[in-house]
Amino acid sequence: MNQAVISCLHANLPAVEAVLKDIELQGITNITCLGDLVGYGPQPNEVIELIRDKEIPTCQGCWDEDVVDGLDACDCSYPSQLAEKRGHFAHQWTTDKLTTENKDYLANLPYSIRKDKCLFVHGSPNSQHEYLLPDMDAFAALERVENARAEILFCGHTHQPYIRELADGSIAVKIKNAVPKDTQEKEIQLPMRRIVNAGSVGEPRHGGTKATYVVYNDVTNKVKIREVEYDIELTCKAIIDAGLPPIFAWRLKNGFEFAEQAEDASHVCER
Amino acid sequence: MIERWALVSGLKGDLDTYELIQKDLKKTPGNITLFVLGDMIGPEKNCNRLLHRLINPKSNDLQPWCIYGWWEEQILLESGYRGDQRAEALRINKGEEVVKSLTNAVDKSFLDWIAALQFGFVELDCGLIHGSSKDVGENLTLDTPPLTLLDRLTRLQVNRLFTARSKQQFHLELTEGIVNSEVEDLNGNRKKEQKVPQKAVIGIGAGKNYTLYDVGTDNTQFVQAGYKTEKRIKGFGRL
Repeated sequence: MNQAVISCLHANLPAVEAVLKDIELQGITNITCLGDLVGYGPQPNEVIELIRDKEIPTCQGCWDEDVVDGLDACDCSYPSQLAEKRGHFAHQWTTDKLTTENKDYLANLPYSIRKDKCLFVHGSPNSQHEYLLPDMDAFAALERVENARAEILFCGHTHQPYIRELADGSIAVKIKNAVPKDTQEKEIQLPMRRIVNAGSVGEPRHGGTKATYVVYNDVTNKVKIREVEYDIELTCKAIIDAGLPPIFAWRLKNGFEFAEQAEDASHVCER
Repeated sequence: MIERWALVSGLKGDLDTYELIQKDLKKTPGNITLFVLGDMIGPEKNCNRLLHRLINPKSNDLQPWCIYGWWEEQILLESGYRGDQRAEALRINKGEEVVKSLTNAVDKSFLDWIAALQFGFVELDCGLIHGSSKDVGENLTLDTPPLTLLDRLTRLQVNRLFTARSKQQFHLELTEGIVNSEVEDLNGNRKKEQKVPQKAVIGIGAGKNYTLYDVGTDNTQFVQAGYKTEKRIKGFGRL
């Protein structure tokens, strides 16, 4: 059966509506959302209400957490002070706009959702703020999936969709100072695991303008990345009209989202 | 001159043991650097004399380089040094009496010194910490999955990790490893084979059991204070 995984909606209603339409056209009714319903975009209440109305199971993202608990990010969140300043402005704007009911909804979202061998999180099993970038250390990536007792880890947060398979792994260990030596060495075979990043519906950072999400078939075990066009002009106008930083609109329109991208792929968030 | 590190932890206020270790180290050949990897304090006995000695070494003492451990973290939590948090894990697991014993065992005048201690040291390509690079309270042992050990090494970007929290003494080498990674994204597919360079995790022991590390040869010696140096024999899954 096909299921859709969406993430990082970021209060971009036209993008969310277009993606949900695309999912519907494929006849998929099983949808999981990996959080960040709000932040950056101009329609936080509308996006939350749409997700609530459709009763889509959703994890709490880092923006959802920060709007409820206050800003508490490690320095991996922003690549520059300017980006941080913009982010803080958007945080305050979003906090002011959200209804109490919608804040309560965000506050009560779970950190993770488990379905059989699949684990769904926003950032990583450790934290909503940790980036699992596509080229991060392969052993560290495998550790995140394995220690979470999952076979497939679905995440978002990076805004870059990808499917990563980690296979044919082994680690040999030896106890130094031990005798007899032959009983003190062993090789551990590592299991095959996958990380699937759903990308971003509302604020893509893959170099293009299209919203992205993924479709997972739990029978064939195949994953497909989907790209969806939406009315970007509509969102851009709403961003300007709302008084949010104009660069948020410019980035969406030009498919250039790298201004907010984590720079260090090897960084392990200590938050 | 041989460069050696003496790695000590879990003294928990025991000045007699500390003096015994200092005495041992005076007889140990080489240029010794003494690291105390946390748990200088504990709830069992008054810790003030040991703390005073660590802060004000005698003229013939080796200078101790200290970091904080799990018990230091508990007293800092309970004393309001970590914001609104308190030592709830200790309170739930050991009870209110132990919390009280801990705060009574350490004079408040030492708290600022404890609060200024670092989480760990990175010396050469080695990380020296109390628990793990993830958490001061994490136990790393021979039974910890190698993937987890590798992750804790990677977080500090070191090749050797000295840890004390488990109280065990061991020297576990990750001699080789491999994993194949294949990434598919909107730009296509890419494959990469990643290998593990040789790395190690070393449990240094606690109390009278401490570790000597020869920086030049990468050899460890597990020592009991007051007894002659001996190499420990240990197997997988045993203490």
